[in-house]
Amino acid sequence: MSQNFKNWPILTGLVLATVPIVLMYSYLVLDTVTDTKPGSIFPNSFTLEHWRFLYEDIEGKANIWQVTLNTLVFASSVMLLVLSVSSTAGYALSRLNIPFRREFLAGVLILHAFPSITLIIAIFLILQLIGLYNTLIGVIIVMTSLQLPLGIWIMKGFYDSVPWEIEMAGLQDGASRFTVWYRLVLPQVRPGIIALGVFSFLSGWGEYILPTVLAPANNVQVLSGYLASLIADDRNFEFNLFKSVGLFYATPVVIMYLFFQDKLMNIYGGGTKG
Amino acid sequence: MLKTSLKRALTGFFVLATAASLPFGQAFARDLTIQVWAGGSNVADAYRVDAITMAADILEREADIRGEELNITVETKYDFDGWGGFKQAVILAAEANNAPHIVVTGHGDIAPWSQSGLIRPIEDYVDFDSWPLNDLFENLIEISSYEGVIYGVPQDAESRPFFGWIPHLKTIGYSDADIRAMPGKVQRGEYTLEDVLNDAKKIQDAGLVEAGYGWYPRVSKGGDYWQFYQSYGGEMLDSSSGKLVFDKAAMQKVYEFFAKAVEMGVTRKNHIGTPWDQWYSEVASGKAGLWHGGTWHYARYTGKEGLKDFFGSVMFSLIPAGDSNGKANTITHPLVYLVTNRGSEDDAAIAAQLITIASEPRINTLHAIKSAHLGIAKSQQSVPLYANDRWASEATVRLLPYASAQPNHTGFSPYFDAMWKGLEASWTGQKSPAQAIADVESELKVQLGGDIIIR
Amino acid sequence: MSLSAKLGYVFIAPALVLVAVFFLTPVVLTGIFSFTNMSTATGITGGAYQITPSLLRDLSGNGFEKKTLDTIGTESYQVSQATLQVAREAGSHLDLLSELEADHLGSNFKNRREFERFLKKLQNRPRSTRELKSTSPHFKKSLINERFETEIDLRNSLVEMQANLSEEQLNTLIQAAYTGWIWTTDNFHKMVILPETKQILFNTIIYVTFTLLLFNVGFALVLAIATFYLPKGQAGVFRALWLLPRISPSVLYVVLWKWLTWDTGFLNAILNPLGVAQRNWMLDTTLNAWFFVVLINGFIGASMGMILFSSAITAIPKPLLYASEVDGANRWQQIRFIILPQLKWPILFVTVYQCLSLLTSFEQILLSTDGGPGSSTEVWALAAYHSALDNYWGNLQYGYGAALALVLVIIGVIMSFIFLRFFRFQELVRQPRIEQ
Repeated sequence: MSQNFKNWPILTGLVLATVPIVLMYSYLVLDTVTDTKPGSIFPNSFTLEHWRFLYEDIEGKANIWQVTLNTLVFASSVMLLVLSVSSTAGYALSRLNIPFRREFLAGVLILHAFPSITLIIAIFLILQLIGLYNTLIGVIIVMTSLQLPLGIWIMKGFYDSVPWEIEMAGLQDGASRFTVWYRLVLPQVRPGIIALGVFSFLSGWGEYILPTVLAPANNVQVLSGYLASLIADDRNFEFNLFKSVGLFYATPVVIMYLFFQDKLMNIYGGGTKG
Repeated sequence: MLKTSLKRALTGFFVLATAASLPFGQAFARDLTIQVWAGGSNVADAYRVDAITMAADILEREADIRGEELNITVETKYDFDGWGGFKQAVILAAEANNAPHIVVTGHGDIAPWSQSGLIRPIEDYVDFDSWPLNDLFENLIEISSYEGVIYGVPQDAESRPFFGWIPHLKTIGYSDADIRAMPGKVQRGEYTLEDVLNDAKKIQDAGLVEAGYGWYPRVSKGGDYWQFYQSYGGEMLDSSSGKLVFDKAAMQKVYEFFAKAVEMGVTRKNHIGTPWDQWYSEVASGKAGLWHGGTWHYARYTGKEGLKDFFGSVMFSLIPAGDSNGKANTITHPLVYLVTNRGSEDDAAIAAQLITIASEPRINTLHAIKSAHLGIAKSQQSVPLYANDRWASEATVRLLPYASAQPNHTGFSPYFDAMWKGLEASWTGQKSPAQAIADVESELKVQLGGDIIIR
Repeated sequence: MSLSAKLGYVFIAPALVLVAVFFLTPVVLTGIFSFTNMSTATGITGGAYQITPSLLRDLSGNGFEKKTLDTIGTESYQVSQATLQVAREAGSHLDLLSELEADHLGSNFKNRREFERFLKKLQNRPRSTRELKSTSPHFKKSLINERFETEIDLRNSLVEMQANLSEEQLNTLIQAAYTGWIWTTDNFHKMVILPETKQILFNTIIYVTFTLLLFNVGFALVLAIATFYLPKGQAGVFRALWLLPRISPSVLYVVLWKWLTWDTGFLNAILNPLGVAQRNWMLDTTLNAWFFVVLINGFIGASMGMILFSSAITAIPKPLLYASEVDGANRWQQIRFIILPQLKWPILFVTVYQCLSLLTSFEQILLSTDGGPGSSTEVWALAAYHSALDNYWGNLQYGYGAALALVLVIIGVIMSFIFLRFFRFQELVRQPRIEQ
């Protein structure tokens, strides 16, 4: 912003620091369509060979489209659940006069920064008790629950910044509290809903530990587990294949990111402000 | 009394009664699904699960001839995220009463899994006195047992030999005849671990390999290291009391051996943790002098690493003795077929039958040769595929008769952890071997208490 | 009840239920588990009763008479009227039983194998393995390795054996035969005594301190301030690039680092021609491993600070900055005296928040070094995961893993309270203005 200082030292510094990221991500794209001799830097030939996993199953691995479908179902369900539950609970905490509101809010705040993953053994037991172990539904519910404190916190932040006058006006016109929320308030927090939605979708899409531990069966495998098991197989070591699967896996993420970048900044900044 | 046996017997009876009451030739249809999961496997090991599919086909045909209709759908899976991921999946599935019917896993799991009731004793369903099970190597059946009960059927065997790079050995003065005689000398205890270090030094001094590559051991924690303990006369299990044994003197010699290797410069101080890929490509291309590995490495050396003339380049033998207390030995870590507590007694009986068929020499040989493992039965030597495979037949004769295994004991895992930490500490020079032994001892007392005899 | 409250209950109920079942209950259960010796061997949901040979060996040094133990433990198979009767009731093949009764009454066999070999030689021998195997157990005369589902079953069988046990001995035996988990405080005792606890504690401190100071706060500040001085377009590009690690699926992100550092990876491809020996840069030494663990996590962590700090800097009134430049302040002075003081609260916030998330995060370490080489990058959360859910030996230590996790839970709760103070809580919970 300030024009009195030279830019180039800063630019040089930043470019240098960013080199690893640029390198890793550009080679991610490059290596999926080329062959590079081991130990050399530049690719020497073009090939689509590494994308063969799209039309033929890799020996011993699940079908990629089934896995992708699972991942899609998983991520979208988490998104929808987190959105619907957080947008109601967030509103209740922000605007409605319920007993123990203070305590709820403190609870949300504590859980929001809580080491949830350390609870996974106990979570497994609960899933098993209610018969949802090794099912996609089970992982969806767990993932949603673990995201809720952050989700509620964010939605509450957005509701807090909606002017009271909007609701007052609605109520004076005789609308019910629910109608006011649904018709008048919800449209006001659209940016929050979009941001939280994208965020939960991306978290679901990238999640590795929960599906791996809580639903290891082949027919509910998601892409993170698929890629991880591909790499774990040390007799079949083919980096370009990993990268092609990886790029296939990351493309939806990057596209969403490009569209919703500004919205996401809010949430990755800790979700502290609406 | 004997409630569980009774229950088994009763179900068995009803099945028999039903079968007998049907006139011969009348079909009675039975459909069932058997799930098989194998750990630590990749494409080359696919016969671990595919053998069950083949067995199901045979069993169905046999049933058909008897006039029964049996439809078995076998669902297989070996695509796990390493051993850890596999065991996690099996154990958690079992806690949810959802385990696969058959698992293929390391024999070490028998102890904890039988205590928890996760697996059923296979001897309740199959007859070890009839073919093909009466043809299995006795020591492998021993390894598949716990508390005097046979829980599993060995699926494959391997062993962990000592290797030498022949061209280097020749350069430091061994003749072809010497090299041919070496496995015999090792077995008789005439070539010891001390000679290993000296030869490693010679190879290095002759400039054949880089510093730290003369003696190039396994790069990560593994059962292999117990071989050296046995080389110095250490015992892992006291057979009379069934307790673990920590032989301080023998273990200290193991620690000293590796510390000395580092001190002599023939092994790198930071050797542990070298990536496997790098290690494989180095040992298969003569960048290391002497090393130890596993029989299954043969597939990797000659396959991915492209070693053309294996027998002209690599000498293999038992792990040499350390001193007069111990002897040359090797450890095998067989995988076993186990029947889990999933499903009815009938399902388990069929699963056990499938395992029995899969253990027939011809079917098992498919796995042994494809994955470069060793066979489980004596008669495999007469299956052409096995006999014509130079590696399988030579390695079986040279190594398997002398193979022992790590004990099936619930306390062995913490013992192993402690032993390994001590070895790592003396190897990297964090502690003197004596200090490391003292620390291991105090840790074992806390962890295992009365389960371990400390000598 | 006001309408507002009613709707409030409806609105908050789903969240409450989910959080209570999948968040709060696990916290409580973790606390409970950590006071048990629960493992794969004991099972989670309870055990059975089984008398094993080693159990009897242990008891023999414990005031039990050898004869008593032999009665219970010596395996034997007998053909007697009693056992024949049991077999008959169970529906074993009658011809076989008649043959046994006629010719072999009183025969005794050492073990099952011997007895079954004998059965197979009889004229009316069982025709299938299945039949053989279901016949022989009726003749067993010992409790060894027999699995009893309940205490009562075992007790009755023991009494039936007439093994001469005192009530006290009976109880000792039954207790020892239990295969399930028991209450214990051993986990915490073990945690204090084991030398590896010190190691993972040390590792955790290194991991959190370095990642936090160098990247999550340090480099985040650099990024925020640097992009502030750049034209909008350029700043946007850098911020976008530094968010990439954050949004990438972790498995893929770690693969990229592996590709960079692998023994035939990119770093080696560059350094090899310069005469640097090929190696795995990520796992070569402890130092290397730490370097990359901090980098991998730091590249992800820097973005949160970057965003927060950037927005705090943007909030600084522009005239203040221009004025300082007119006064001849150089850039460093501007940062030092105007920008940094504005960032005091965001820095504190990021420090506490990220400290907590680093303490409990292990996914990237699990995927990259898995705690190696040796256990030099094994941090506390990863150790909890490894003990409870992922170890090479098929005996998962749920109890010990839960105890390790409980330590993190407690730290988490304490830090969350500190967190609350930063938030000026009162302000956040101001009362709703519509009471209806």
